[in-house]
Amino acid sequence: MIEFNRFKLDNGLTVLHHFDPTTPMAVVNTLYDVGARDESEDRTGFAHLFEHLMFGGSVNIADFDAPLQFAGGESNAFTSNDITNYYDILPVQNIETALWLESDRMLSLAFTPKSLEVQRNVVIEEFKQRYLNQPYGDVWLELRPLAYREHPYKWATIGKEIRHIEEAEMEDVKAFFKAHYHPGNAILCIAGNISLERTRELITKWYGDIPKSLKPERMLPKEPEQTEFREKTIERAVPNDAFYYAFKMPERRSFEYYVADIISDALGRERSSRLYARLKKELKLVTSINAYITGSLDEGLLVIDGKLSDGVSFEELDKALWETLNDLIDHPFSPEETARLLNKIRTMKEFQEQGLLNRAMNLCIYELLGDANGVNEENTLYQSITAEHIQKQAAAMLQKENCSLLRVKALQA
Amino acid sequence: MNRQEQPLVNTIEHIDFVKPHVFDITPHVPLVWMKDVPNDTVRLDLFFDAGIIRGTDSIPSVVHSLIFSGTAEQSSVEIHESIDALGGFLDTDLSFEGACVSVYCLREHIETISGLVANAINGLAFRESEVEDSMRSMSQKFKENKQKVKNVAQQEFRGALFASDASYSTLAKASDFEAPDVPAMKRFFKDHYLNGLTRMTLVGNLEQDTVDALIDLFGKWAVDYQPQYGKAFEATEKRLHFPVEGTVQTAIRMGKILFPKTHPDYLEFHLVNTILGDYFGSRLMSNIREDKGYTYGIGSATMELQHSGYFVIVTEVGTDVADATLKEIRSELERLQTELVPEEELELVKNYILGQLLKSADGPYAMLDMYNSVDLYGLDLSFYDEAIRKVKAMTPERVRELAGIYLKWEDFLIVTAG
Repeated sequence: MIEFNRFKLDNGLTVLHHFDPTTPMAVVNTLYDVGARDESEDRTGFAHLFEHLMFGGSVNIADFDAPLQFAGGESNAFTSNDITNYYDILPVQNIETALWLESDRMLSLAFTPKSLEVQRNVVIEEFKQRYLNQPYGDVWLELRPLAYREHPYKWATIGKEIRHIEEAEMEDVKAFFKAHYHPGNAILCIAGNISLERTRELITKWYGDIPKSLKPERMLPKEPEQTEFREKTIERAVPNDAFYYAFKMPERRSFEYYVADIISDALGRERSSRLYARLKKELKLVTSINAYITGSLDEGLLVIDGKLSDGVSFEELDKALWETLNDLIDHPFSPEETARLLNKIRTMKEFQEQGLLNRAMNLCIYELLGDANGVNEENTLYQSITAEHIQKQAAAMLQKENCSLLRVKALQA
Repeated sequence: MNRQEQPLVNTIEHIDFVKPHVFDITPHVPLVWMKDVPNDTVRLDLFFDAGIIRGTDSIPSVVHSLIFSGTAEQSSVEIHESIDALGGFLDTDLSFEGACVSVYCLREHIETISGLVANAINGLAFRESEVEDSMRSMSQKFKENKQKVKNVAQQEFRGALFASDASYSTLAKASDFEAPDVPAMKRFFKDHYLNGLTRMTLVGNLEQDTVDALIDLFGKWAVDYQPQYGKAFEATEKRLHFPVEGTVQTAIRMGKILFPKTHPDYLEFHLVNTILGDYFGSRLMSNIREDKGYTYGIGSATMELQHSGYFVIVTEVGTDVADATLKEIRSELERLQTELVPEEELELVKNYILGQLLKSADGPYAMLDMYNSVDLYGLDLSFYDEAIRKVKAMTPERVRELAGIYLKWEDFLIVTAG
């Protein structure tokens, strides 16, 4: 059970407070309700580039990291298609430094041309390092537009292409900040050995005078229901053929989201999972196979990916894969298999709850979904899943017309 | 409230380091147990003298990958099913000088899961189909890694840095994964796992009886010898380049043999390393990422071996700026040797290191890892008190002096791939 308090400032900032007297560290986690899905199609990669700029100095403070390090702390951030999340971890006695820094960059950035120029280059190198200079590195740049036609999930957080990052202008940066970086669009969590009273006092002091702005209205194009099987084959200089089957799955706030998550575990999370046992161990068609979900807030993807064994064709794999999927639709899970999957969830939740940062981040994410207390109900929700739920969701989801298949064909050297 | 001025910072004066319970399974093999855990989670780690240096032709890697691949009675899938049914997670790790098998679970299941793990390892049968499956996967992975500049640089760096000792410098080759030598695997497994346990660690709020049962279960694998490790590696100063087709970035790995964790300069050099490249505001990051934009990341580290250690700088940069990056690295190394570190920067790094130390000691899991990382090298927890003292006492002159001894450009092995 993660205990927490919640209060709101007049300017719209939502604050969560989590008291933990056992740790000497404190966490300040700030979630901004903006991600790559909020970009326009001709300016992709912007939310992520912006995350980099948030470390390039704010209106009153030239450098973000140095004062935090001076206070014995460190900081990082990540951008997803849905959110941008910043966190600081530091000794609790110095928590005020983190609040000073975070509140100043919520107030306004420095917007220096040098910072924009350098971070553009850094992000371009990141693009190369992660997506271009790795075997199979670019598959998500191909898979997203295959699976999504309208919804902005059709591009990756890094952006559609390097050109969009190269072309980012200071005007774009300022407009993005104005629209998305203000108290009403943020959820803050303070975690550690600090009282609610002290938290309230410090938050009011540092965040109270930040002007209020209207929360931007999100009007994303709705993804039309997929009604046909989609496939694409790309050729790359990689050592082996690889495959990516992507199925549309329910959005984050639905009960079926959790069911789909369990289905992905059943198919390909562990070495006892169905695809691993059948396709790798028994039929030896693949050298690796995994199933996982993207965890998106809007309609997401359940992905099955893997690599073919030498000499095995895509057709052989396809046949065996669909047989395994259909089996899941045709026959309900045994009580043992259901229990096995849910027991793993229980252990995982217990371990996740150990970390202070994890707790703070999860509180913020659940608050974004509607109620921070959702974090305490998650396990019960999973444990309520039955074999019937699984069979029904599998039947709805694991259909050919709900699937987009990307094949990576290895070019012979 | 003044937004221009940083709120008052309190420096860390003291950190509580909690000592775990330590039992001798044999005179050479300890059980280390952190008992005060405020929830139901348990972690068990079994350390084996089965690292990469203990075999040739990738036998240590192959055996490591097969450790839960099945017994005469149970297939690998059945073993994993039985452990998954109890909500347990398995993890294995292979490094230079050791291998580790870890179990994560809730305490109500630790004894049952340990029994399953012990059976799986005791009865490892090297089933033909499992060996083939593993070799197939490893062979593919090997080919894939050959296309990654980072991996090529890392491997070739190791090969060149430890050239004077074959067991440390022999690299995997494609043929290692083609024709399985099962008798050699079985021999390795018997010598280095069934007679290779060097340490057992446990985090969990358990009864003494449970801990005794785990000692009975795994203690019989304890080594009956004192493992030997390399120590006298010859210095290598060279510039090597390995071409990789069709890449847009070049990986750089440069470094040199340094000293073991027990060396008197270790702690002070740790601070020099932090200034240079071991935190986000480091000189290498500030110059090469935040000023020039050449890379997504660059860092330096001191790596520990049982009786030695090395220093390494790692980055991947745009191919067109690889030479410019080396030039900047060189100038940062020289700047540390010629100029005094400004007091402000030194104080920042001191505070940062102490903050990290405080975080590293936070909670039973972190504290157990901290204990291991001194005890493994024959040190004890007073090492960390010493660290606080030495970090606080560090001067700009001493930083310059250590940089002059250990960071001379001419002493470096430089490997690039791309």
